[in-house]
Amino acid sequence: MAISVKVMERPEPETTSYLRAALSGMALTFKHMINPQKVTQQYPEEQTDLHPRWRGTHRMEVHADGRPKCVACGLCPTVCPANCIRLVGGEDDQGNRYPIVYEIDEFRCIFCGMCQEVCPVEAIHVGRHFENAEYTRDRFIYDLDRLTHQEHPTTLLWDPSDPRSE
Amino acid sequence: MADTPNTVSLTIDGHEVTVPKGTTLLEAAKTIGEDVPHYCYHPGLSAPAMCRLCLVEVEGAPKPMPSCVTTAADGQVVHTQSDLALSRRRGVLEFYLVNHPLDCPICDQSGECKLQDYVHQEGRDHGRSREPKRVFGRDDFGGDVLFYGDRCVMCTRCVRFMTEMEQDSRLTVVERGNRSVIDTFFEEGLEGTNWSGNIVDICPVGALVSKDFLHKARAWDLEHTPSICPSCSQGCNISLHTRDNLVQRLKPRENMEVNGWWMCDHGRANYEWMNHGQRLEAPLVRTEDAVRAMGWKEAVGALLDRAETTSGSVKAVVSPFASNEDLAAVRSLVDALGGGSMVYRMARADAEVPMDGFPILARRRDLAPNGRGAEIMGASRVGDDDGVGGLDDVAGHDGVVIVLGDPLVDQDASFGQSASLFAYLGMHGSPATGAADFSLPITNFAEQEGTFTNHEGRVQRFWPGLRGPGAAQPAWFVLGAFQAARSGDPAPRSAADAFAALAASEPALAGMTYDDLGARGAVLNETVSVPGG
Repeated sequence: MAISVKVMERPEPETTSYLRAALSGMALTFKHMINPQKVTQQYPEEQTDLHPRWRGTHRMEVHADGRPKCVACGLCPTVCPANCIRLVGGEDDQGNRYPIVYEIDEFRCIFCGMCQEVCPVEAIHVGRHFENAEYTRDRFIYDLDRLTHQEHPTTLLWDPSDPRSE
Repeated sequence: MADTPNTVSLTIDGHEVTVPKGTTLLEAAKTIGEDVPHYCYHPGLSAPAMCRLCLVEVEGAPKPMPSCVTTAADGQVVHTQSDLALSRRRGVLEFYLVNHPLDCPICDQSGECKLQDYVHQEGRDHGRSREPKRVFGRDDFGGDVLFYGDRCVMCTRCVRFMTEMEQDSRLTVVERGNRSVIDTFFEEGLEGTNWSGNIVDICPVGALVSKDFLHKARAWDLEHTPSICPSCSQGCNISLHTRDNLVQRLKPRENMEVNGWWMCDHGRANYEWMNHGQRLEAPLVRTEDAVRAMGWKEAVGALLDRAETTSGSVKAVVSPFASNEDLAAVRSLVDALGGGSMVYRMARADAEVPMDGFPILARRRDLAPNGRGAEIMGASRVGDDDGVGGLDDVAGHDGVVIVLGDPLVDQDASFGQSASLFAYLGMHGSPATGAADFSLPITNFAEQEGTFTNHEGRVQRFWPGLRGPGAAQPAWFVLGAFQAARSGDPAPRSAADAFAALAASEPALAGMTYDDLGARGAVLNETVSVPGG
């Protein structure tokens, strides 16, 4: 079958003006310049308002005397689907079970929040925080000292304004 | 059937069951796979029926019966899961939780706790008790045992174990009612007992825990591998509980013909050597100028070349910690190289430590699992009761010297210097093994499959619970490959192959196979005694 070719006729350059289209474009631009309704967020000067159930960087709650609340029960490394928690339990001089080693690999973590859900003593939490960039890879393995010194707010397990997720 | 005098037939949960006369309802229910909850009852101990948790409904009886002491009778109709039985057991469980602290997160028994299991199985999902719980704190009972009084459910299994099995009443119940608690007499505690580790095993909750295992691992992280205790010639059946390729603890495994449900404290504590880190990891072969690490193929090839040119009789030193398969491989190597002698060294304790309540069980004098196996393979015992010395004629031997598993820690660097070929198959190096022409890394018993022959001649299998380090292989595998390369016969591909070859050549083991041995073992066809035992 022969191929049919339709020859388009270009308008002649002398008879075509782009001015009208350019002006309408500029009009839209200037309209946005004076329009008060801005949608771009001025991060980082302006911080995002994170949802109360946002699951981000971990933190460990501490007792009033600074000891971590963790009792090294081993439920979080058991439930962790990414296998990113390393825990070695032991006993302190008062006979309390406590974590000698508690490390979370934030690279492996998938931020599912199951460690927080399973914790029987409300020690480990995921937090409302996401700015955890570092210059070296090994800084992403958070040890107990770092986890207990985090200051961001912790994640809530349910939204207080909608506790039944309706 | 019911017409024969020694059995009775009854109905349990709709199943017709025929059991020997005198069987309890609890044991009869086990035959149909129904495990009635129980604390105070243990098959190895007397049954006081005091935990009241094994209540079942028996038709015609005025109230629920404790199944651990009610003997089965002809025509009985028993319901273990009826509404009546379940509601009574739920009530009993609720009373247990009145005082039991819910400290499962910090309790070592968590995950293997009978109170956890039963409450999950048939208890209430919420507690109704609002009263404060009694608090005892914890008590060091001596030995390896730590007592958390709050967690105790007063089943008194530990008290009865010490009285009936060890027959040394170190524990008792003091006080009455809900203040009652297990305690020791004065300051004596369990210090100096030999079997008290078993009370940690039989404690259904976390009241008695092991100090050695305290906070070390969670029960659900451990892998269990059936094995044989290597600490004496009794050959207790055990489980290796491992995590992260390390043995975390040893637990006894039931075998009524060897150790019942028990094992001694000596064997229980003696496991750290299995985790020893300083191991030979690659075959080391001495060439003209240096000692070189090689792959197995190259190393076996070099050994073949050397074996062609060596002369003189063979003297072999084997270890009573090696499996029957490994020992047989050394014997056939000795025979193939022209014949010679085999010796082994074994530490021997001053006296046996019997368990009075279970007479066939004792910590035997021979402190190695397979001295009997070494005797069967034709090795003779040398050295003293500390397991050292006795190798003077081997050390200066000018023929072939083969050492299997014995690290020669008491020998100096002159050992084997004058040998025409010195091959060392072992786990660790020592000054004496430095002169070896071939240092070949082999696995220990926890890292390989095999069999041990215990003091009474029972051949029992063990299974690998750990991965061997580096290139280490079982000795039967290494020597089998060497023999196959020499003779052209096929090499053994599995421990079962190696054992089959052994059973074919050794009359004492004739007819045995791995399948027949199973997890319980079988007794040798003829008796071989360990001299001086």
